[in-house]
Amino acid sequence: MERGYWIKSKPIYTSLVWHEKATSHLVLASGIGGMAALKLFQQMHPAQPVTVLYARYAQMEVDYSETLKKVVPDNLHVFKFEEDLLTELKSIMPHMRMGLRIYVAGSEGFIWDVAKAVKPFGVDDAHIMKEQTDTLARNVYCVHCKAVTKSVTTNIVACCGCERMLFVRDHFSRNLGAYMGLMVDAESPGELPAIEEIYP
Amino acid sequence: MNMIDVRVAAIEQVTPLIKHFKFVKEDGSKLPPFSGGSHIVVALDAEGRTYRNPYSLMGSPTETDAYHISVRRQENSRGGSAYMHENISVGMTLKITHPVNLFTLAKMAHKHVLIAGGIGITPFMSQIEDLNRLGAEYELHYAFRSYKQAAFVEELQKACGNKLHCYSDSDGKRLDMDALLSNQPLGTHVYVCGPSPMVVGVLETAKNLGWPDSNVHNEQFLAPPVGESFKVQLAKSNLEVQVPAEMSMLEAIEAAGVQPEYLCRGGVCGRCELSVLESDGGLEHNDHFLTESEKASCKKIMPCVSRTKGKRLVLDL
Repeated sequence: MERGYWIKSKPIYTSLVWHEKATSHLVLASGIGGMAALKLFQQMHPAQPVTVLYARYAQMEVDYSETLKKVVPDNLHVFKFEEDLLTELKSIMPHMRMGLRIYVAGSEGFIWDVAKAVKPFGVDDAHIMKEQTDTLARNVYCVHCKAVTKSVTTNIVACCGCERMLFVRDHFSRNLGAYMGLMVDAESPGELPAIEEIYP
Repeated sequence: MNMIDVRVAAIEQVTPLIKHFKFVKEDGSKLPPFSGGSHIVVALDAEGRTYRNPYSLMGSPTETDAYHISVRRQENSRGGSAYMHENISVGMTLKITHPVNLFTLAKMAHKHVLIAGGIGITPFMSQIEDLNRLGAEYELHYAFRSYKQAAFVEELQKACGNKLHCYSDSDGKRLDMDALLSNQPLGTHVYVCGPSPMVVGVLETAKNLGWPDSNVHNEQFLAPPVGESFKVQLAKSNLEVQVPAEMSMLEAIEAAGVQPEYLCRGGVCGRCELSVLESDGGLEHNDHFLTESEKASCKKIMPCVSRTKGKRLVLDL
């Protein structure tokens, strides 16, 4: 990659820090992201109401739920799978009011699943604080067949939809929560650059 | 700037201090379309000087046979609003600018909370037409001194029904901003137009409750404040202009024959921003556009509302 080169659409993730000004807080974490949630409670217990939703089994199979139960005062909900967490999220969002601050920690796929789930409720992803944990794996959107190949750790991947070999670009879609994948051997079929794991 | 010639078709005294003006095109053709929240600048040639004052368009954006504005006669006015009240009569012709919207509705909002203070109701008069037409969810909170001084309450009741909430100082009824803004559904946008303490109150309350900046909108046109007289040197035009006490720098520069860019003339839009090359005293920034650090740097100025505390200013114009 060329030095200094950066695609604007590529999201930049930070570490979770409480917003001082808020009416309530909602923390969503998955797998190792549970550590980011624990770190939040190391900073302080906010004066405003806090809800924490935690999914135990992410790709890395690390479980912080027992520690979270000791630290989170109330309103902690633990789920086995991210899908269950997202279902609960969608059911509580209609009751939330302006001044709600949302914090999310987990894989990039989880972060954007959350962003997609809250968008219909009028929350822009720019106002969600996001911390990437677990893995650098990317979801890759095939520009040829529109399929999304999940959790890609290599620079080149076979599309799960059309089996074309895709080069994983830095070009990111917030709407899809995925990076653009382009056929890498269109001009000279079968001639592939070295396939390397660069998103462990 | 490309101006439109209009004829004053009707004038109505709405309250003791507020007059409503209706403008039409001389040839009866339609005026340019606009969106709710837009304003025009009215140019008035009076006693050897030109006033250019911004006023919100009030009527329905779907009816462009005429434009409607309302003017409150300002105490301590430099003369623009007093001139509109005393010297403009039906049948006269005026020059206005094309409409510009610096106070647009957020189309993606799930709900709109509109807060008006006094004459600050005017931009909402056209916005509620848009909101009603779109079937959008909204509330209009209108605060004023007394029902006698409040303009358009009856019209608003007709247009908004139970979405209208009035607060009259004389009844001791006050708008509790904290209560209003702490219980709004996600995706709500708030809009405020009114006197400075009200605008600041809404902005601060929303910030303290954790509302994102993008969901908070305000419009507050400033009348150029009266100040001390000073000299402006225009470096590129090689001109020296005397700015009298009761004239804005922008007006004085225009009177000298130079035509800088402008849009709102009220310290909001930033179009007339000029670079300051030299100044012998601190700058008196009255705008809402420059950031605090830009104001402190003394390198930029909004000539529509700002002045110098010194005697002489050199501008890159």
